[in-house]
Amino acid sequence: MLKFLAGSGAGILLASASVAQAKPIAFANGTTVMAEYGAGTMEEAQAFYAPYYWLSLGGGWLRTDSDIDGRTRDIRYLRANYLVHRWNLDDAQANVFAWGGLGSASGNTFRGNRLDRNAGFQADYETRWVYAALMSDLHESSAYSQRVDTLQLGFAPYAHDYRDLAAWFVVQARDYSGRLYHGVEWAALVRLFKGGAWVEAGVTAAGKPQLMMMFNF
Amino acid sequence: MHFGKTILFAFAASMTIAIAPVRTAAAATIEMDVSGLVCAFCAQGIEKKLRAFPATADVVVSLEKRLVALSTKDGADIGDEELKRALTDAGYSVKAIRREDETLDAVRHRLEAKP
Repeated sequence: MLKFLAGSGAGILLASASVAQAKPIAFANGTTVMAEYGAGTMEEAQAFYAPYYWLSLGGGWLRTDSDIDGRTRDIRYLRANYLVHRWNLDDAQANVFAWGGLGSASGNTFRGNRLDRNAGFQADYETRWVYAALMSDLHESSAYSQRVDTLQLGFAPYAHDYRDLAAWFVVQARDYSGRLYHGVEWAALVRLFKGGAWVEAGVTAAGKPQLMMMFNF
Repeated sequence: MHFGKTILFAFAASMTIAIAPVRTAAAATIEMDVSGLVCAFCAQGIEKKLRAFPATADVVVSLEKRLVALSTKDGADIGDEELKRALTDAGYSVKAIRREDETLDAVRHRLEAKP
C-alpha cells in the first residue's frame, strides 16, 4: 500500500495525522478545528483541544465515497493524538505523531452501526523553505478496512516571518485502500496561512477540487 | 547654634525624601534564541504561553532570527527558569536567554531592518 511512497524518495519522513495535512497538535492549551473536502472521495471535519504540546483530544467525522463502486462510509470518532518525538533543529523542525481512537460507523454496504477503530501516524519535516509530510490513517470495523496514505512535498516561494502571510506550493500523492480509489491520486495545492487561519486549495490530476481549512485558537 | 543646624539638616533631609519620586525597577527586555522556530502557524503557542505571564508587556517573534523577545511591565520580571519552562512547554528548545538594555521596540526595529 505504501509502494508509491517507497519510490518517492521521501525516506526522511515517517507518518502522519488524520487525512488532513497539518499537525494534529497545534500547541498547548490550543484548540484546532479543521474541515477538508478531498476531491469527492473523502470529507472530514475535526476538533481537538491540546492540554499539552504533546497531546490533543477530540473527535471528528469522516465520510468516504468510493470512486470505484459507490460504497459510502460515515464514521464519527473520538481520538487522542500523541507527539511521539520532536526534533527542534537550528533551521528546521521534524515531528512524529501517532493517534488512535474509537467511533461509530454506518455505510451502504452493511446494516446498522459498527464499532470503528482508528489508528494512524504522521511524520513531517519543515524548514522555512521546504515541507514534507507522510501520513497514514486507518479505519476498520467488522465490515470494512480502509486506509488513506498521503505524501506531501511543498516549497515556499519566499520565507515568511511570524506576522506575514505564508504561501506554499504543495504536491500531494494519496493512496486509498478499501476499494475507495484506483491507483494514486495526485494533486497540486496552494497553502496560505496567517495567524491562526490556514486555507489550502487545489485540484487533482483528474480535475477534482480539494479544499482544507483549519483554525487554531 | 549646633542644635539649629541639626534641626535644619533633619528638615532638609525629610523634605528630600518626601519629594523624591518613588523609584521602581525599569521594564526589562529579554531575548531568547529558540530552536525549531520555522512555522508561524505552529509558533503561536509560544506567544500565547509568554503572554500568559502577568509580568509580560509585549512579545516579538522572529522566525528569520529564530528569536523570541519580550518586555516586562515596570517593576516586574520573569525568571530564566520560568521562561525556559514556558518555551519547553510550548514544544520548543531554548538555546540562550539574554537580558538586553534596549527596548522591545528597538529590538523589533532591529529585527525588521534589512541586512
